Amino acid sequence: MQTFSNANSGAIVLSLAERIIENRAYLSEIDGKIGDGDHGVNMAKGFAMAADRLKDRETTLSEALDTLGTVLMTEIGGSMGPLYGVMFTEFAEKLDGVPAIDAATYSNMLHAGLEGIQSIGSAKVGDKTLIDTLVPAVEAFDGATANGKSFDEALDALVVAAEAGRDSTRDLVAKIGRASRLGERSLGVLDAGATSCAIILKELSLGARARIA
Amino acid sequence: MTSKTSSPRKGGANRSGATDASDAIPLRYGDDPYVWACWLYYEDGMTQGEIADAMGVSRATVNSYLADAREKGIVNISLEPARLASLTIAQELKRHFGLADCLVVPSDDNARPLIDRLGVAGAMALQKLMKSGDTLAVSWGRTVMSVGEHADVQALQDATVVQATGGTTAAFSYTPELCAASIARAIGARCVGITAPAIVKSRELRQMLLDEPLLQEQFATLAQANRILFGISSLRPNSTIHTSRFFESVSLQDYLAAGAVGVVAGRFIDERGRPVAGPLDDRTVGISLEMLRRIGTRIAVAGGFDKVPALLAALRGGYANVLITDAATGHGILRADGVTGLDTRISQKPKLVQAPSSYRTHVKKFLNNPNEVVEEMLDGVVRAHRDYIEPINGSHRALVAKSGPRPGKVGLVIGGGTGHEPCFLGYVGKGLADAVAVGNIFSSPPPDPIVQCAVAASGGEGVLFVYGNYAGDVMNFEMAAEIAEEKGIKVRTVLTTDDIASSPIEDREGRRGVAGNFFIFKIAGAACDRGLSLDACEAVTRKANLRTYTVGVALEPCSMPQTRRHNFEIGPDDMEIGMGIHGEPGVTRERIKPADDITDAIMDNIFKEMKATAGDRVAVLINSFGATPLMELYILYRRVAQRLAAKNIEIEANWIGHYCTSLDMVGASISILHLDQELTDLLHHPCETAFLRIN
Repeated sequence: MQTFSNANSGAIVLSLAERIIENRAYLSEIDGKIGDGDHGVNMAKGFAMAADRLKDRETTLSEALDTLGTVLMTEIGGSMGPLYGVMFTEFAEKLDGVPAIDAATYSNMLHAGLEGIQSIGSAKVGDKTLIDTLVPAVEAFDGATANGKSFDEALDALVVAAEAGRDSTRDLVAKIGRASRLGERSLGVLDAGATSCAIILKELSLGARARIA
Repeated sequence: MTSKTSSPRKGGANRSGATDASDAIPLRYGDDPYVWACWLYYEDGMTQGEIADAMGVSRATVNSYLADAREKGIVNISLEPARLASLTIAQELKRHFGLADCLVVPSDDNARPLIDRLGVAGAMALQKLMKSGDTLAVSWGRTVMSVGEHADVQALQDATVVQATGGTTAAFSYTPELCAASIARAIGARCVGITAPAIVKSRELRQMLLDEPLLQEQFATLAQANRILFGISSLRPNSTIHTSRFFESVSLQDYLAAGAVGVVAGRFIDERGRPVAGPLDDRTVGISLEMLRRIGTRIAVAGGFDKVPALLAALRGGYANVLITDAATGHGILRADGVTGLDTRISQKPKLVQAPSSYRTHVKKFLNNPNEVVEEMLDGVVRAHRDYIEPINGSHRALVAKSGPRPGKVGLVIGGGTGHEPCFLGYVGKGLADAVAVGNIFSSPPPDPIVQCAVAASGGEGVLFVYGNYAGDVMNFEMAAEIAEEKGIKVRTVLTTDDIASSPIEDREGRRGVAGNFFIFKIAGAACDRGLSLDACEAVTRKANLRTYTVGVALEPCSMPQTRRHNFEIGPDDMEIGMGIHGEPGVTRERIKPADDITDAIMDNIFKEMKATAGDRVAVLINSFGATPLMELYILYRRVAQRLAAKNIEIEANWIGHYCTSLDMVGASISILHLDQELTDLLHHPCETAFLRIN
């Protein structure tokens, strides 16, 4: 059975932070089309803060995710702070104490993160939010493992579904958050949260995939 | 303006210039020196210096003759209609698709082929957009090649051009290799190729090629690109895509069947700009659509009416943020996307049209480190208002009223993002809010400072949270409320929802809180200060919220300190009704109207909801969004007062100025608090804060 080691995988969170910081301007730009244009800036701030606390340390993936989640939850504010904060701390909790992470644990982790987000936010699939990326990604992962696919194949399926989910927000009318006041005018623009969520899920899953032994 | 009367004769007699300078105005100009100066300038093409010599006057006088002649209508400068149309279309394209920039070449010029004219325009764009150290990815096609042929950008240092895709058959003259080389030569850049075919036989072969160190190096350069220049191909039978045999026709049919309407950098997109999957995806060596979209400056150059669907798809998909096209195509794109009324706008423009102002992309601000604006502002606030507020545990993100909280009193905690000053921290002090939690720009504070505020504000009788109804604020304040409850502090929350333009009345609870916060905070603070119970404070605050009605109108967007850019656009002749205080686009966008008409529209909306009858009393707040001056606010107030007077509604109190801003947004909001006796008493209750003092 394919697994990857929790120990020393904290570096995945560092590369996650790198991707978010790289995409700072892009995320703010798409956010600016239907929101206030600060998504990239705020995300980059939080992820950089977490990366700073993690750098030069060998940590487990669960420790690193917990650090990231805590920073986002307590020090960022906005709507993304609590939402991603909950997601990452839930991720961390499910991985905590698991030395070799397998597909089942990974799925538990994803579900816990999703439920965490749903416990504080009210968005559903189709509302043009990060849920449109997260839900299909989790479903694709579970679907792949249920069909007997290996862990790495399931991760690939997750990434594809996350990006398709992100792209689906282009054709959605925002139902929640600031962009919802726009109605039809939010059509044709990606949701910034769905986009950052796709970046996060992709980097996390590529990091896991690269470490599968 | 005073017109010049100085005689052109003086000092002219001894001069001998290039023309038959004389001490008198030549007969044909009558005795009008303006006409003479204009003739020499516009018809004879002389410089102002030469005219001064010829007329025997100073250069400054010539200059004022020419300026006055335009004022007087002796000279009419009008833009030639085709050029005017192209400017209008460019402006509309930029606005409609949220482009960074747009250049539209007029359609009248039949002397040169369209490809050439697009090439010249593309060359102009490169001249303006390329900077030293840039890496420019270049795709291929006839139009891109034409840009290379016309561009000549001097003095760039350390620029790199990189091919955006692998190579193709050399059966045509605009291959990826030739396009990249031509552009590189034109801008004096180093050229990096992608030394593999653009389309290879199999997925496996592609992977093997991409594993080659040389290609990895080339792709690394491509990944660094901060600008890209690309054409857009339609999938019509005569397009480059077919004639170049770039794609096998068999595969093309697959993509067409899947709804593809255009090709961007070798990738297929459908009419909404979504990537279309097909057999070539895994065999294509080149930039992906995702990579492309991440590039900062994405210049699409394409024209021709057959390309309208493909261009529209590319714009909808956000692949281009700088568009270079021709007027007919631009017009077609706008029409296809449902923009109406363009033709009337083109023909109805006044004669004297301002040339497009120089491209100003950044707004000037007083800044040190853009990332530290909030900290630096708070440092200033704490120093300025030390009589009213002080940091809790040394943190500037949680501030408490100096003489606010006291045992036996319900604590009032307010808060939200920054950028709205004096909201929220200006309303902290005795008789108003007891503590304020401060977030980043337009972004809710996290739970921790809110909890600190709750603890500091608590006098044992519970704490009331009052803040605007925004998803982020709700999440953070709710978390903070839970934590505070765990600490034994009873918390009640009232969300402000005074922006009646943000949702219909049926969804009153979904509305957002805006400038009317001012009234709601005031009432809540007075109730708390009077020692009412938590239940009573909550109830009267809810009542104040239900009886506060606000509508805002934005004329110009605000700009973020971190980007120093406007984060959206409002058209030159437009206004946005119902604009949110974070720059959320409003409910409708209309042509700007006279102040009274705008005020009437707002008041009509408010009257629809506010069931006031003759003899009722209200409080009025005319609030600037940041950049609108008091002068205009008073003009709005004047009309509000007229409208209220006409209904015999009495204004009990008014506030006019900056009370809840949105950085430097131009615009204003009108808030009305429909008073009853209880609210009137609480409104007049004394308070001592940095921005509101009632005694």
